[in-house]
Amino acid sequence: MDLTSEKLVRLNIEAENWEDAIRKSAAPLFENGKITAAYIDAIINTAKEVGPYIVLTKHVALPHARSEAGALESAIGIATLKTPVVFGNKENDPVKYLFCLSAKDSESHINALSELTGLLDREDFYALLDQAKEASEVIQYIKNL
Amino acid sequence: MEFKGLVACRAGVGSSLMLKIKLNQVISENKLPIKIEHGSLDALSGFNGQLIITLSDVAKELEAKKMPQTIIGIDNIMDKAEILTKLNAFLAANN
Repeated sequence: MDLTSEKLVRLNIEAENWEDAIRKSAAPLFENGKITAAYIDAIINTAKEVGPYIVLTKHVALPHARSEAGALESAIGIATLKTPVVFGNKENDPVKYLFCLSAKDSESHINALSELTGLLDREDFYALLDQAKEASEVIQYIKNL
Repeated sequence: MEFKGLVACRAGVGSSLMLKIKLNQVISENKLPIKIEHGSLDALSGFNGQLIITLSDVAKELEAKKMPQTIIGIDNIMDKAEILTKLNAFLAANN
Protein backbone atom coordinates (compact mmCIF):
# COMPACT_ATOMS: atom_id res chain seq x y z
CA MET A 1 0.00 0.00 0.00
CA ASP A 2 2.47 2.61 -1.17
CA LEU A 3 -0.46 4.96 -1.75
CA THR A 4 -1.04 5.53 1.93
CA SER A 5 1.17 7.15 4.58
CA GLU A 6 1.02 8.36 8.17
CA LYS A 7 -0.24 11.73 6.98
CA LEU A 8 -3.34 10.09 5.50
CA VAL A 9 -4.33 8.18 8.66
CA ARG A 10 -6.89 9.56 11.13
CA LEU A 11 -7.78 7.36 14.10
CA ASN A 12 -10.75 7.49 16.43
CA ILE A 13 -12.36 10.57 14.90
CA GLU A 14 -15.81 11.74 15.85
CA ALA A 15 -18.43 12.10 13.13
CA GLU A 16 -22.00 13.32 13.49
CA ASN A 17 -23.39 11.38 10.54
CA TRP A 18 -22.34 9.64 7.32
CA GLU A 19 -21.71 12.89 5.46
CA ASP A 20 -19.49 14.21 8.23
CA ALA A 21 -17.68 10.86 8.31
CA ILE A 22 -16.94 11.08 4.58
CA ARG A 23 -15.72 14.67 4.87
CA LYS A 24 -13.42 13.83 7.77
CA SER A 25 -12.05 10.70 6.10
CA ALA A 26 -11.33 12.73 2.96
CA ALA A 27 -9.82 15.73 4.77
CA PRO A 28 -6.23 14.42 4.96
CA LEU A 29 -6.27 13.67 1.21
CA PHE A 30 -7.44 17.21 0.53
CA GLU A 31 -4.85 18.71 2.89
CA ASN A 32 -2.08 16.75 1.21
CA GLY A 33 -2.99 17.73 -2.34
CA LYS A 34 -4.38 14.35 -3.41
CA ILE A 35 -7.92 15.54 -4.18
CA THR A 36 -9.81 18.80 -4.72
CA ALA A 37 -12.65 20.02 -2.52
CA ALA A 38 -15.00 19.32 -5.45
CA TYR A 39 -14.03 15.64 -5.28
CA ILE A 40 -15.38 15.41 -1.72
CA ASP A 41 -18.63 17.09 -2.78
CA ALA A 42 -18.92 14.63 -5.68
CA ILE A 43 -18.72 11.66 -3.30
CA ILE A 44 -21.40 13.11 -1.08
CA ASN A 45 -23.69 14.21 -3.88
CA THR A 46 -23.54 10.80 -5.52
CA ALA A 47 -24.31 9.09 -2.22
CA LYS A 48 -27.28 11.41 -1.74
CA GLU A 49 -28.61 10.73 -5.22
CA VAL A 50 -28.15 7.01 -5.43
CA GLY A 51 -27.58 5.67 -1.94
CA PRO A 52 -24.62 4.32 -0.01
CA TYR A 53 -22.73 2.82 -2.96
CA ILE A 54 -19.42 3.10 -1.15
CA VAL A 55 -20.23 0.67 1.70
CA LEU A 56 -18.59 -2.55 0.57
CA THR A 57 -18.48 -4.96 3.46
CA LYS A 58 -19.31 -5.12 7.16
CA HIS A 59 -18.48 -1.77 8.78
CA VAL A 60 -16.31 -0.64 5.86
CA ALA A 61 -16.77 2.21 3.38
CA LEU A 62 -14.57 3.18 0.45
CA PRO A 63 -15.50 6.81 -0.26
CA HIS A 64 -14.50 7.63 -3.84
CA ALA A 65 -15.72 9.32 -7.00
CA ARG A 66 -14.77 9.35 -10.65
CA SER A 67 -11.24 10.51 -11.41
CA GLU A 68 -12.57 13.53 -13.34
CA ALA A 69 -14.34 14.77 -10.21
CA GLY A 70 -11.02 15.97 -8.82
CA ALA A 71 -8.51 13.19 -8.16
CA LEU A 72 -5.09 14.88 -8.32
CA GLU A 73 -2.84 12.00 -7.22
CA SER A 74 -3.72 8.39 -6.48
CA ALA A 75 -3.93 7.84 -2.72
CA ILE A 76 -5.74 5.88 -0.02
CA GLY A 77 -6.64 7.36 3.35
CA ILE A 78 -7.38 5.35 6.49
CA ALA A 79 -9.91 6.64 9.02
CA THR A 80 -11.60 5.03 11.99
CA LEU A 81 -14.60 6.42 13.83
CA LYS A 82 -14.89 6.61 17.59
CA THR A 83 -18.59 5.88 17.26
CA PRO A 84 -19.76 4.03 14.12
CA VAL A 85 -22.38 5.79 11.99
CA VAL A 86 -25.26 4.51 9.88
CA PHE A 87 -24.90 4.96 6.11
CA GLY A 88 -28.22 3.39 5.12
CA ASN A 89 -26.70 0.12 3.89
CA LYS A 90 -28.76 -2.51 5.66
CA GLU A 91 -26.33 -5.36 5.15
CA ASN A 92 -23.15 -3.65 6.32
CA ASP A 93 -24.09 -0.81 8.70
CA PRO A 94 -22.87 0.77 10.88
CA VAL A 95 -19.64 1.98 9.30
CA LYS A 96 -16.56 2.29 11.46
CA TYR A 97 -13.67 2.10 8.98
CA LEU A 98 -13.34 4.44 6.00
CA PHE A 99 -10.74 4.16 3.25
CA CYS A 100 -11.05 7.26 1.11
CA LEU A 101 -9.74 6.50 -2.37
CA SER A 102 -8.36 8.88 -4.95
CA ALA A 103 -7.75 7.24 -8.32
CA LYS A 104 -6.01 9.54 -10.78
CA ASP A 105 -6.41 7.05 -13.63
CA SER A 106 -7.67 3.51 -13.99
CA GLU A 107 -4.30 1.81 -13.47
CA SER A 108 -2.05 3.36 -10.82
CA HIS A 109 -4.04 2.25 -7.79
CA ILE A 110 -4.83 -1.33 -8.79
CA ASN A 111 -2.03 -2.91 -6.74
CA ALA A 112 -2.91 -0.82 -3.70
CA LEU A 113 -6.60 -1.75 -3.96
CA SER A 114 -5.64 -5.37 -4.27
CA GLU A 115 -3.57 -5.08 -1.08
CA LEU A 116 -6.43 -3.29 0.65
CA THR A 117 -8.77 -6.11 -0.35
CA GLY A 118 -6.36 -8.51 1.31
CA LEU A 119 -6.24 -6.37 4.46
CA LEU A 120 -10.04 -6.35 4.69
CA ASP A 121 -9.93 -10.15 4.96
CA ARG A 122 -7.74 -10.02 8.06
CA GLU A 123 -9.36 -9.88 11.48
CA ASP A 124 -6.08 -8.76 13.03
CA PHE A 125 -6.11 -5.69 10.78
CA TYR A 126 -9.44 -4.53 12.24
CA ALA A 127 -8.16 -5.34 15.75
CA LEU A 128 -5.11 -3.22 15.07
CA LEU A 129 -7.22 -0.32 13.78
CA ASP A 130 -9.33 -0.54 16.95
CA GLN A 131 -6.33 -0.49 19.27
CA ALA A 132 -3.85 1.77 17.48
CA LYS A 133 -3.15 5.12 19.09
CA GLU A 134 -0.75 6.45 16.47
CA ALA A 135 -0.83 6.50 12.68
CA SER A 136 2.66 5.01 12.67
CA GLU A 137 1.35 1.76 14.19
CA VAL A 138 -1.04 1.29 11.26
CA ILE A 139 1.57 2.05 8.61
CA GLN A 140 4.10 -0.21 10.33
CA TYR A 141 1.58 -3.08 10.37
CA ILE A 142 0.94 -2.69 6.65
CA LYS A 143 4.66 -2.51 5.83
CA ASN A 144 5.38 -5.65 7.86
CA LEU A 145 2.92 -7.85 6.01
CA MET B 1 -19.39 -22.73 -22.63
CA GLU B 2 -17.71 -19.79 -21.01
CA PHE B 3 -19.76 -16.80 -19.90
CA LYS B 4 -18.65 -13.20 -19.97
CA GLY B 5 -19.38 -11.07 -16.93
CA LEU B 6 -18.99 -7.32 -16.53
CA VAL B 7 -18.27 -5.93 -13.07
CA ALA B 8 -19.54 -2.39 -13.01
CA CYS B 9 -19.78 0.36 -10.43
CA ARG B 10 -20.58 4.02 -10.61
CA ALA B 11 -17.04 5.30 -10.94
CA GLY B 12 -15.34 2.19 -12.31
CA VAL B 13 -12.21 2.79 -10.22
CA GLY B 14 -13.02 1.57 -6.72
CA SER B 15 -15.82 -0.78 -5.78
CA SER B 16 -15.82 -2.60 -9.12
CA LEU B 17 -12.09 -3.25 -8.93
CA MET B 18 -12.33 -4.71 -5.45
CA LEU B 19 -15.34 -6.74 -6.45
CA LYS B 20 -13.44 -7.99 -9.51
CA ILE B 21 -10.58 -9.16 -7.29
CA LYS B 22 -12.94 -11.14 -5.05
CA LEU B 23 -14.92 -12.52 -8.01
CA ASN B 24 -11.75 -13.77 -9.67
CA GLN B 25 -10.70 -15.46 -6.42
CA VAL B 26 -14.05 -17.26 -6.21
CA ILE B 27 -14.05 -18.12 -9.93
CA SER B 28 -10.54 -19.59 -9.91
CA GLU B 29 -10.99 -21.45 -6.61
CA ASN B 30 -14.15 -23.09 -7.94
CA LYS B 31 -13.11 -23.26 -11.61
CA LEU B 32 -16.29 -21.54 -12.77
CA PRO B 33 -16.65 -20.90 -16.53
CA ILE B 34 -16.94 -17.13 -16.22
CA LYS B 35 -14.54 -14.49 -17.51
CA ILE B 36 -14.65 -11.12 -15.76
CA GLU B 37 -14.02 -7.63 -17.08
CA HIS B 38 -14.76 -4.37 -15.33
CA GLY B 39 -15.75 -0.82 -15.98
CA SER B 40 -18.01 2.05 -15.01
CA LEU B 41 -21.73 2.03 -15.71
CA ASP B 42 -20.91 3.76 -19.02
CA ALA B 43 -19.39 0.48 -20.23
CA LEU B 44 -22.76 -1.27 -20.01
CA SER B 45 -24.08 -0.11 -23.37
CA GLY B 46 -21.18 -1.67 -25.28
CA PHE B 47 -21.14 -4.91 -23.33
CA ASN B 48 -22.17 -8.05 -25.20
CA GLY B 49 -21.79 -10.66 -22.42
CA GLN B 50 -24.46 -12.46 -20.45
CA LEU B 51 -23.87 -11.30 -16.91
CA ILE B 52 -23.53 -8.04 -15.00
CA ILE B 53 -22.23 -8.09 -11.44
CA THR B 54 -22.38 -5.05 -9.20
CA LEU B 55 -23.21 -3.89 -5.69
CA SER B 56 -26.77 -4.49 -4.56
CA ASP B 57 -27.98 -0.90 -4.68
CA VAL B 58 -26.71 -0.47 -8.25
CA ALA B 59 -28.24 -3.82 -9.18
CA LYS B 60 -31.69 -2.64 -8.07
CA GLU B 61 -31.38 0.38 -10.32
CA LEU B 62 -30.26 -1.72 -13.31
CA GLU B 63 -33.07 -4.22 -12.86
CA ALA B 64 -35.53 -1.41 -13.40
CA LYS B 65 -33.93 -0.77 -16.82
CA LYS B 66 -34.83 -4.23 -18.15
CA MET B 67 -31.36 -5.00 -19.48
CA PRO B 68 -30.93 -8.17 -21.58
CA GLN B 69 -28.26 -9.51 -19.18
CA THR B 70 -28.68 -11.31 -15.90
CA ILE B 71 -27.87 -8.90 -13.07
CA ILE B 72 -26.26 -10.06 -9.84
CA GLY B 73 -26.12 -7.70 -6.87
CA ILE B 74 -23.56 -8.39 -4.13
CA ASP B 75 -24.28 -7.14 -0.59
CA ASN B 76 -20.90 -7.83 0.97
CA ILE B 77 -17.96 -7.95 -1.43
CA MET B 78 -15.72 -9.79 1.05
CA ASP B 79 -18.23 -12.62 1.47
CA LYS B 80 -17.04 -15.37 -0.86
CA ALA B 81 -19.94 -17.64 0.08
CA GLU B 82 -22.45 -15.03 -1.06
CA ILE B 83 -20.57 -14.52 -4.33
CA LEU B 84 -20.31 -18.26 -5.00
CA THR B 85 -23.99 -18.90 -4.28
CA LYS B 86 -25.08 -16.16 -6.67
CA LEU B 87 -22.70 -17.18 -9.47
CA ASN B 88 -23.78 -20.81 -9.15
CA ALA B 89 -27.42 -19.79 -9.38
CA PHE B 90 -26.64 -17.94 -12.62
CA LEU B 91 -24.77 -20.95 -14.05
CA ALA B 92 -27.56 -23.34 -13.08
CA ALA B 93 -30.14 -21.16 -14.81
CA ASN B 94 -28.08 -20.90 -18.00
CA ASN B 95 -26.88 -24.43 -18.53
